Amino acid sequence: MKFLNLLKSDAYVFLDGGMGTMLHLQPGELPERLNLTEPERVVAVHRAYAEAGSQVVYANTFGANPLKLEGTGIDTAESVCAAVRLAKAAVPENVCVALDLGPTGQLLQPAGSLTFDAAYEAYKTVCIAGAEAGADLVVIETMSDLLETKAALLASKENTNLPVIVTMTFTETGRTFTGCPISAMAITLEALGAAAIGINCSLGPAEILPLIRELSKWTRLPLIAKANAGLPDPVTGAYSVTPADFAALMPEFAKAGVRIFGGCCGTTPAFITEIRRVMQDVKPAELTAHVPAAVCSGIRTVVLDMPRVIGERINPTGKKRMKQALLDQDYDYLRGEAIAQTDADADILDVNVGTPGIDEASVLPQAVRAVMEVTDLPLQLDSSDPKALEAALRIYPGKPIVNSVNGKASSLAEILPLVKHYGACVVGLTLDEQGIPESADDRFTIGKKILEHAAALGIPKQDVFLDCLTLTASTGGDGPVQTLHAVRRVREELGLHTVLGVSNISFGLPNRPLINRSFLCMAMQNGLTLPILNPMAEGMMDTVRAFRMLAGFDANCEAFISAYQNVQNQMSAPAVPSAPSELTLEQAVIRGLRQDAARLTEAALASQNPLDIVNQQLIPALDVVGADYEKGIVFLPQLIQAATAAQSAFGVLKAHLSDQGNQGGKGKIVLATVQGDVHDIGKNIVKLLLENYGFDVIDLGKDVPPQKIVDTAIAQQVSLVGLSALMTTTVGAMEETIRLLHEQYPSCKCVVGGAVLTADYAEQIGADCYAKDAKASVDYARTVYGE
Amino acid sequence: MKPSDLNRAEILSYLRTPELDAELDGKLTVCIEELCRAAVPRTVWRLLPVQHSPEGVRLGGLLLGGKDIALHLEGCRQAVLFAATLSSPVDALIRRAEVSDMTKAVMLDAVAGAAIESVCSQLELFLHRELGAKYYTERFSAGYGDFPLSQQADLIALLDASRKIGLTVTQHQTLVPMKSVTAVFGLSDRPVNDARRYCCGKSCTECPNRDGCLFAGAKAAEKERIQ
Repeated sequence: MKFLNLLKSDAYVFLDGGMGTMLHLQPGELPERLNLTEPERVVAVHRAYAEAGSQVVYANTFGANPLKLEGTGIDTAESVCAAVRLAKAAVPENVCVALDLGPTGQLLQPAGSLTFDAAYEAYKTVCIAGAEAGADLVVIETMSDLLETKAALLASKENTNLPVIVTMTFTETGRTFTGCPISAMAITLEALGAAAIGINCSLGPAEILPLIRELSKWTRLPLIAKANAGLPDPVTGAYSVTPADFAALMPEFAKAGVRIFGGCCGTTPAFITEIRRVMQDVKPAELTAHVPAAVCSGIRTVVLDMPRVIGERINPTGKKRMKQALLDQDYDYLRGEAIAQTDADADILDVNVGTPGIDEASVLPQAVRAVMEVTDLPLQLDSSDPKALEAALRIYPGKPIVNSVNGKASSLAEILPLVKHYGACVVGLTLDEQGIPESADDRFTIGKKILEHAAALGIPKQDVFLDCLTLTASTGGDGPVQTLHAVRRVREELGLHTVLGVSNISFGLPNRPLINRSFLCMAMQNGLTLPILNPMAEGMMDTVRAFRMLAGFDANCEAFISAYQNVQNQMSAPAVPSAPSELTLEQAVIRGLRQDAARLTEAALASQNPLDIVNQQLIPALDVVGADYEKGIVFLPQLIQAATAAQSAFGVLKAHLSDQGNQGGKGKIVLATVQGDVHDIGKNIVKLLLENYGFDVIDLGKDVPPQKIVDTAIAQQVSLVGLSALMTTTVGAMEETIRLLHEQYPSCKCVVGGAVLTADYAEQIGADCYAKDAKASVDYARTVYGE
Repeated sequence: MKPSDLNRAEILSYLRTPELDAELDGKLTVCIEELCRAAVPRTVWRLLPVQHSPEGVRLGGLLLGGKDIALHLEGCRQAVLFAATLSSPVDALIRRAEVSDMTKAVMLDAVAGAAIESVCSQLELFLHRELGAKYYTERFSAGYGDFPLSQQADLIALLDASRKIGLTVTQHQTLVPMKSVTAVFGLSDRPVNDARRYCCGKSCTECPNRDGCLFAGAKAAEKERIQ
């Protein structure tokens, strides 16, 4: 462990500078190919850095991964092996050789189309080859996406025994290109076990210094700085900062906690020499930062410095509509709940998919992905199934909460190692093999035991939260008092964050909202910091905001005032004349009035059955709009506005139907945007319209492999598949899908659409129908299903 | 970016609508404001040598596919290759609206289209002043005419755009973040022959679809604005 000894020695560590800069690449020349074809050019660079005083040189493997090298004819493992070996041969024994992992060059889902697993496998190939060739450490650098960074870090840790250091690249705003803030990077990577973290590339040292200062607030790890030599001139390509100017700033970096120094684009051995010279008389800074407890997603950090609300809505327990959505794989319903809770000011969202008939290990990660597409809030992964938790933990960018472990020996043994390995926070339920203790003191004792087990594995104390369990008040006795007492002891004696599912308290009693918000207030006063609740429920967020303000968490009452400053005005404003009572559901849909459509549907349910409402009111209204659209009287925005009004009416009907345990659609249709295509909006408009006409749409999303579409069509026995493609480069995937569909499931029809298609082209690739727009898709679906 | 950077007529043409009623018009205003708040426009460019040869035209050493780009850069010894993106928050904003309010999603998508056009136009305008050539061609992108979309990855690599502005390309040659553009324009000492813009790569006067063209109005409006 040559590198760890360097790190332990309390002295500075000096890395190398730019590689690309030194190789003087010709247009089209790939650095990774040189490892095999012109090793002497690479060796010369390493040697120059070692002579300049670099204690660690980065092997020439930055772009060597299978995703980047595809089609170049270069074998990744071969290039990596060669790079590490030639670096080792080029430098003296006491200089460490780092296996260098750069970005894959593609964006991961949901921003792009690369899956976590594909990124992981790519890095795994590189790590295995690099470790076998004798690298001393792994560096992950120039990363922008926290999930991609996590894939690289897990690949390193799970496939090698080498220490791993990580640097990401930030813009002057303190965020990466994908929006990852410095805080999220720091708390996630420290928890995942990086040996040191820092910042490289993009900017010169003067611009990076404030970013390093910010980073030092969020971690106790040694920091790394590897700035560019300023910015390149777009015409000449020359960089602007001299070695002397660059090095002159380094003592300031040391003051901010940097222990590991180097350079990135535009820097040369002269920079390293100069940095070493300047730093020889500068003492390393004492690290005194207190790092606050926090959780994060890939783009937002939530500091646990006041009561923070965990939204409970994405959980099928006691919710028939959610249960049905999970069974139908209707992830848009989950997305809708995520957006609603985000808009209602929740701080963290709980995601639980546990219901009979669901394979949690496959559904939980899908649900997590769906939710993260539409919210930037951190998540609480809620399951008792370790396999499901692990599957979700792997693909989660950031530092999540695991809900939960409990005092049972089996739970402690299964859950806590996952929490440690994936760098999560964890909720400990104060119950064990004997069930839930009645007394506060016994619950406290179990909580303490959970904390001790977590600490023994190296999970930081501030990452352990305890749930002292809310039992319903209706059973009588002093249940609520015991819960509150336990919360107080945990907070005061252990100093841990506390979690409670608040609304359990009122189960079986009248006026539940009153009980819930009263108990919430009492619990926060007793030390509850992480209430799990429905942020849309009457009075709950009001209570939290008022508590934060009164308990001193809201300086100058700013948050409170900004939430409520318009309330009084609204109340004193003259009453808005109510909508004309003669407005019908048809008119509401035609005019695109979403709230009215929902309200009128609710009212209509009193006297009509849902299918009659669909057939006699919603569909005729949509037909009117559709006909006007075709005649050019109304245009796309109005058509969609009407469709969203109909959608809100359908939302009401669906909730009603699932309450009755009834589905009742007109037929199932599979929709997908074909493999390779990530432009989803056209397909989603078609989906909206099809659902308006009462079809059950199985939406496979975007970038869907041909066989998956066919398999789903067969499994669901649909009569129609709809495919969308926007790019000329993805029409091939559409053709392939149609071919497989006709081969394996000939009775199924296929309708296609998308910007690059024409009727002739559609026929040529074997489609049964070309839909020029969303309306045409609906017309065709209605003929297929015999309307 | 500011709402005033955007051309409302162009947005309406993307929405395939000649006009909006008051309510939808108000909604569009909100969408424009939200889009401008979310967008983080980033650009990267390089001035590169152009070499014409029998096999085609080379830009900074990279052979560009197809006859149309060679024709487009005829008479140019240098050209600018640039990439521009509104960055990933815009994709996230649209994705989110697709779930919560499809009308808004369609509007945001159209506004984003106008926004990336505006970013490109402003960069062009800046570079025209900065580089001091006598004449410039219009910009030309992979996918126009026979300039193959499959070269997107080469262009991104030449600009080091994933490192410089966070712009990447998928294995299927889609730019991500999605509201992004790569393009080339030439510098010339002599007047250049082009009206090649947008999706067709042909001049409007020769175009058989000119009567039904979705972009004609926007093209004219933007031309006027640039001048």
